[in-house]
This record gives sequence, C-alpha cells and structure tokens, in this order.
Amino acid sequence: MKNLFKLALRGLMRNRRRSMVTLLAIAFGFAAIVLFAGYTHNVYDGLARQSIHGELLGHLTLSKRGMRKEGKLDPERYMLTASEVSAITKTLKDEPHVVLVAPRLGLSGLISNGRASTIFIAEGIEPAAVVLLREGSLTEREKKSGMFESMKMRLDPNHPEVASLSSGLVEMLHLSVGGQAVVLANTLTGQANALDITLGQGFNTGNANSNDKFAFVSLDLARTLLDAEGRADRLTILLDDVNQTGAMRDALLAKLNKAGFDVEIQTWQELSDFYTQVHGMFDMIFGFIFSIVLTVVVMSVANSMGMTVIERTREIGTLRAIGLKRGGVVRLFTTESMLLTLIGCVTGLLIALGVRWGINLANISYTPPNSPSPVPLLVDMDIGRTLFTFALMGAVGTLAAYLPARRAAQKDIIDALGHV
Amino acid sequence: MTTDLATPEPLLRIRNIRRRFMLGETTIDALNSVSLDIHAGEFLAVWGPSGSGKSTLMNIIGLIDSPTEGEVSFDGQDTHLLADDDLTDFRGQKIGFVFQNFNLVPVLSALENVMLPLQIQGEADHAARKRAAAALVDVGLERFINSLPDKLSGGQRQRVAIARALAVNPKLVIADEPTANLDSENSRMVVDLMREMNRARKVTFVFTTHDPRLLDHVDRKILLRDGNIVSDEVMA
Repeated sequence: MKNLFKLALRGLMRNRRRSMVTLLAIAFGFAAIVLFAGYTHNVYDGLARQSIHGELLGHLTLSKRGMRKEGKLDPERYMLTASEVSAITKTLKDEPHVVLVAPRLGLSGLISNGRASTIFIAEGIEPAAVVLLREGSLTEREKKSGMFESMKMRLDPNHPEVASLSSGLVEMLHLSVGGQAVVLANTLTGQANALDITLGQGFNTGNANSNDKFAFVSLDLARTLLDAEGRADRLTILLDDVNQTGAMRDALLAKLNKAGFDVEIQTWQELSDFYTQVHGMFDMIFGFIFSIVLTVVVMSVANSMGMTVIERTREIGTLRAIGLKRGGVVRLFTTESMLLTLIGCVTGLLIALGVRWGINLANISYTPPNSPSPVPLLVDMDIGRTLFTFALMGAVGTLAAYLPARRAAQKDIIDALGHV
Repeated sequence: MTTDLATPEPLLRIRNIRRRFMLGETTIDALNSVSLDIHAGEFLAVWGPSGSGKSTLMNIIGLIDSPTEGEVSFDGQDTHLLADDDLTDFRGQKIGFVFQNFNLVPVLSALENVMLPLQIQGEADHAARKRAAAALVDVGLERFINSLPDKLSGGQRQRVAIARALAVNPKLVIADEPTANLDSENSRMVVDLMREMNRARKVTFVFTTHDPRLLDHVDRKILLRDGNIVSDEVMA
C-alpha cells in the first residue's frame, strides 16, 4: 500500500504542468464551494438569530390548537386563558433546556399623533422577556460593526405605557423619544378601546415591508388595550440550545398533551417564512454551483488521467508482465487520481481560508433584498459542508480515473508493451 | 555448459503452437506449428531475420501472450488452465523480463525499480530493499542504486533491468532483443552478464538477437524463419 502511494505520488510528478493545472482546477473549485458554503452558513446563522432573537420568535411558539388558522377570526375562542397560561408556564419552566416561557399577545389597530393616524401591528411582551430573548442575538463582530443598533430595543419594565415603534412608523408620525401618541384597537368583545402611549426607543424590523407599521408594547398595555387580563394568544419558549428545537418541541408537546392541554407547538423555522425561503433559495444556488464545480473537477481529472494512462501504456505493459494484476493497475491510477484530488482539495481549503480571512477583515457590507439597512459580508467555516465536499470530491475524483485505468488494465500486455 | 538435457521434465514444453494475428482483413501466421522444449539452466538464443516470429515466440514463452493453437506447459503447469490473475502471479514468481527499451519506471531509482517486482509479489519493504540491493551489487551497479534511470547509460539501464528480472529468483529470464539499443561494447557486456548470471544462479535465459556475434556465447541457438524453426543447435 505504501509503495502504491509512493508510486502514485511520483506519477503525479512526471508531468508537473498538467498535474498542476488539474490540481488548481480542483483547488479553486473546492475553494469556491467552501467560501460559498461559509457565506450561506453565515447568512443562515444570521437569519436564525434574527428570527429567534431579533424578531423575538424564540425557539418554540405554543398556542391553542387551531390558533394560527382560525384565531384571527375568533380570537376569544383560541386565546389561552389566564389559568391556562399559568398552568402551562408552571409545567414547562422546569423542563431541561427551557430558559424562558413568555406570554405574548398580538394586536393591531390605529395609531395617531393627534394630527394623522395610521395602522399598526404590535406585539405585547413582558419587558424582562425581551431582555432574555435578545441575549446572544449578535456576535462580537456584528456588535463592532455598528449595523445592528435596532437589536438594542428594550421595553421599560417600570413604565408599561412606553412603546417601541419601528423607525418607519416613527418617521411617518413625526414622533420622537418621549413623545405621546394614541393607540386604538378592538377589545376581545369587539369594543373600541384607546390608550395613550409614550414613545420609547425606536427599532428597525430588518424588513422594509414591516418597518413602517410594527411596534412592541408591554404585555400589560396589550392586555389592557384588548381587555384580556392574564391572557395570551401564544407562549414563546426560549431554549438554551438551538439544536434542541425539534426534540424539545416533540417532548414538550407530548408532555402537555398528556396533561390534557389541547395545544400545538411550532418551531421558529416553521414560523419564519423568510428564513425558510432564503434557506431554500441558497440551498438551490449551492446545489447549482456544487454541480458545476463537480463537473469541472470530474472532467479535469478524467482528462488528465486519460492522458496519463495513454502516455504510460508501455509502463502498464511492463508492470503487468512482471506480475501486477489488472486490479493492481486500476488501483495504481485511481490512487494517483485520489491523491491529486485530495491534494487539490487541501490546497483549495488553504486558498479558502486565506480569502475568508481577507473578506472578514475588509469590513464589506451590502444591503440584502427587502432589508432597510446594510449588513456586513462575513464568511464562516461550514465544517459539515466542507467535509462533505472533501469526501465527495475525493470519491468522484477517484472514480474519474477508474474508466481510463480499467481500459488500460484490460489491454493485452503485448499491445501495451508495443505502444508508442 | 550448464544445460542439463538429461532432465526428464523440461522447464518449458511447447507443442504445435500457432499464433495467428488479424491485420485488418489479412491473417498473418506469426508462428506455424512450433514445438520446443527448454530445460532448466539453458542459455538459449532465438535468432532470425525480422518478421521471423522471434518476439511472438518470446511472448508465448514468457506467458504474456497465448497461442492461437497448441499447448504450453511451464514447470509442469499447463498454462492455459490458469485464470488471468493466477497466470499473472505464476509469471511474476517464475519469469523475469528484460526488454529492448529497458522499460524502467522513470520516476523510480534503480533500487526502487528492482524492488518493484518483489513488492508486487507482496514482499515486505525492508526485505525487498535488501534483495534488490544485492541484485544491483550482482550486476555491478552498487554505486548507482539511488540513480534515476535517466542518469544512467544504456548499458547501465539494461543491467538494472537484468537485476530487476533476477530479483524474484525466477526460473526463466526472457530477454527480447536486449542489446538492440546498445553499442557493441555494451552489447557484449550485457550478454556476458546474462551468461554470468546463468552460470552463477542456474537461471535459464532465453534471448533473441539479430547480432550473430552474440551467438558465440550460447549453449543452444534456434533459428526461426517465417514462423518455423529452421534449426535448433546445441553448441559444443
């Protein structure tokens, strides 16, 4: 085996220029995949944190069964009662991985500055829950970038009348921090109800479509406005590990169903359409790029090995004459091809690490579609996809030499020895 | 003279072999009903004009080609009964080859080239190295064991090839025109070396040549013409 590797490695050195060209094709292809996988990993990670912490979705959302489909038409029926909120919170709070169980109340209505009114959509949430949900929302690098000021939005626990409005809404109503506005909404029983609010710190929703209508208000204010004392339309559950999301959903649901609660639990992925759509789109692009690169690698290796095999036909005849079996010839050339591919992948990894380092250091930013503000261009290391690409390229690169090697091995020895 | 013609069982027995090649729509009979016994320890030359069938006969003797008709038995084994992999093993263990163009692996040193057939046979690296080095000493190339083939002269390369052929302690060494690419001095040296190895190691040598001067050293010479054995002389 050792001799096979030595012979294969020396074989690569025979036509250095050709080996180098093939190696570079593999290396740049591998680097492109690693970099794109790293970029998408960063995007997925950012979107996940944006969904879980930025949009305050938490990891799991619990609601009465049917709430998402029918709740808007009949909120009274599908809203959790005060006793249900209390009992479920008590049941869940000591579960492993559960950091927070926060009651939420969604509402919509009109907001007025006294001169003009516009619609608003608001989330009622306890101020302390906002603090916990926002923890870990930004990486150190993102904090330093200064591009995520809106993630610092907090509600004042001592002043439930203070609301945080999205920057577009603030701008539209010509409001400023400390200013007054009036919110008007229907109570659960359909009565109009208006309350004065004080404008707290503004924020950016991260989405141009919602940045002119969204608001966060304290849960107390939301309950007062809807006349829904102690009630919630859902409970947001924060876990200590995002990877436990699926397992915890199943475990908690089983436990609650067993306890007699007719509830459903959705994960943050299921609730974040944007995350799912972006993930799907990038996965598709990744697959497309991956296919192209893989095709280029296979063609390069197959072409290189095909020429190598032809050039070394007489040597193959000699090796066969002195006792190397047909299988040995195939192993020799596939080993050579495998080494070429693996060295190319390692070179590609080094290139990718260098480029990644440069990109992350360059403080490049861009404005994604539908985003009201720029985000930094950062590239992660996606270990999983890198290893997968490494293994697949190694296998495919090896197989690319199989056919020419097998053809050579099948050749009659005397024909191979007579090859010019 | 090392030929032991009294041995009842020859090392190689060929009976009524024909070798026919198709060249387009033309059929070429390279060998016509050739029968031949080669005994262990012989130093035998096959000679004749170009196209007489020398190389075809050597390929069949060396078990790298099969006759269209006829039987070949080597060391008591009917070779056509062997499957391809078994025949390859059989050949690797019992037959060494010396080629006209040396056919050394250019990226391997002289030592590594000689180690190659041993390693193919599964010999451990250390033992293969030791045996290969000894074989190179036997052919007088101890100073060149780490040299790549392109750093050696034609005569030296052919000596490496002889060392490679002898490394596995074969029963038979086939040398097809081993001196064709050498000058007369190196040709003489190579034939002398083969003769020396034949005597010292009791290895059977069969080689082809078109140079009549080299025939003075052999025990036996077979003249081929148009695929037939014209004469088979045992030298005094």
